[in-house]
Amino acid sequence: MGDNRYHDAWIVVPAFNEASVISDVVADIRSVFENVVCVDDGSRDETSERAWQAGAYVVRHPVNLGQGAAIQTGVEFARSHPEAKVFVTFDADGQHRVQDVIRMIDRLEAEDLDIVVGTRFAGSAPKNMPRLKRLALPLIAKLSRTSRKLGLTDAHNGLRVFNRTVADGLNLTMNGMAHASEIVVLIIENGWRVAEEPVEILYTDYSMSKGQPLVNGVNIIFDGLLRRRMRR
Amino acid sequence: MNWIQVLLIAAIVTLLVYLLRSRRSAQSRAWVKVGYVVFVLAAVYAIVRPNDTTVVANWLGVDRGADLLEYALIIAFLFTTISTYMRFKDLELKYAQLARAVALDGARVPEGR
Repeated sequence: MGDNRYHDAWIVVPAFNEASVISDVVADIRSVFENVVCVDDGSRDETSERAWQAGAYVVRHPVNLGQGAAIQTGVEFARSHPEAKVFVTFDADGQHRVQDVIRMIDRLEAEDLDIVVGTRFAGSAPKNMPRLKRLALPLIAKLSRTSRKLGLTDAHNGLRVFNRTVADGLNLTMNGMAHASEIVVLIIENGWRVAEEPVEILYTDYSMSKGQPLVNGVNIIFDGLLRRRMRR
Repeated sequence: MNWIQVLLIAAIVTLLVYLLRSRRSAQSRAWVKVGYVVFVLAAVYAIVRPNDTTVVANWLGVDRGADLLEYALIIAFLFTTISTYMRFKDLELKYAQLARAVALDGARVPEGR
């Protein structure tokens, strides 16, 4: 199983109570990539077991910490493998497509970038995206000074591909959803070369029921403001 | 603007700057203790001679000593809230690091690797 071309790629899948979909998501990724690490963020269901049976490495938080913490754990696990060169974050709810990841990896290598971030807003508005989100997400990205500086349109996309420089430098301190803005800040602070790749998000009923309510944006902004005062 | 307003605003700003800048060093903990002693002495004095708080309040442009105490209480409450919040954030980070160490320690490798 797995394409030899991507043997040095590690896919990090943070998951919390995703037992109903995790097998399919892992199997789908494993049809192309051999190295998948599922970070079970203290799920109360069978997420760990099913991910493992589907062929993923599994690390399990003993308690629920939040997506940012899960991504950090997964990246730390992946970067402990010396042969790992490409790192991918991929949501566990089935909303991302593996062919987008392949395109992003190829671009990372072809254009000699440090990190490629998925965006939902490159072309036309995504199909099936709830109307409120369609209006609000690009607005949040525009309001955020840091995102604007980099020309990023979709800071909160869960699909990211990056190289070892970024993986080694990644140190997320925001456990919850503010990690997305934190990554943007890290990109600026470290001067990583970044690009955006249009990706398609599958807004299934399932992923919509799990997605974050827009009100969480308030938390994201607030935590982000505090973060600057908290560092070191 | 009354003197009390100037002082209150200055106090809030100072507290914020102080709290947000200093991590808890041994020195800042010592100052917290000094502040606590001063607070106790002042509280005892205010209880023994409640009318004196009104005198102090009048110096500052506040009518009643009780009002002055209320302002002081609000400031103290803000101070406590923010410092507790910062402490919690710190602990949360340590807690995450601990949980991460446990998780990485118990990593499961898929069969056939």
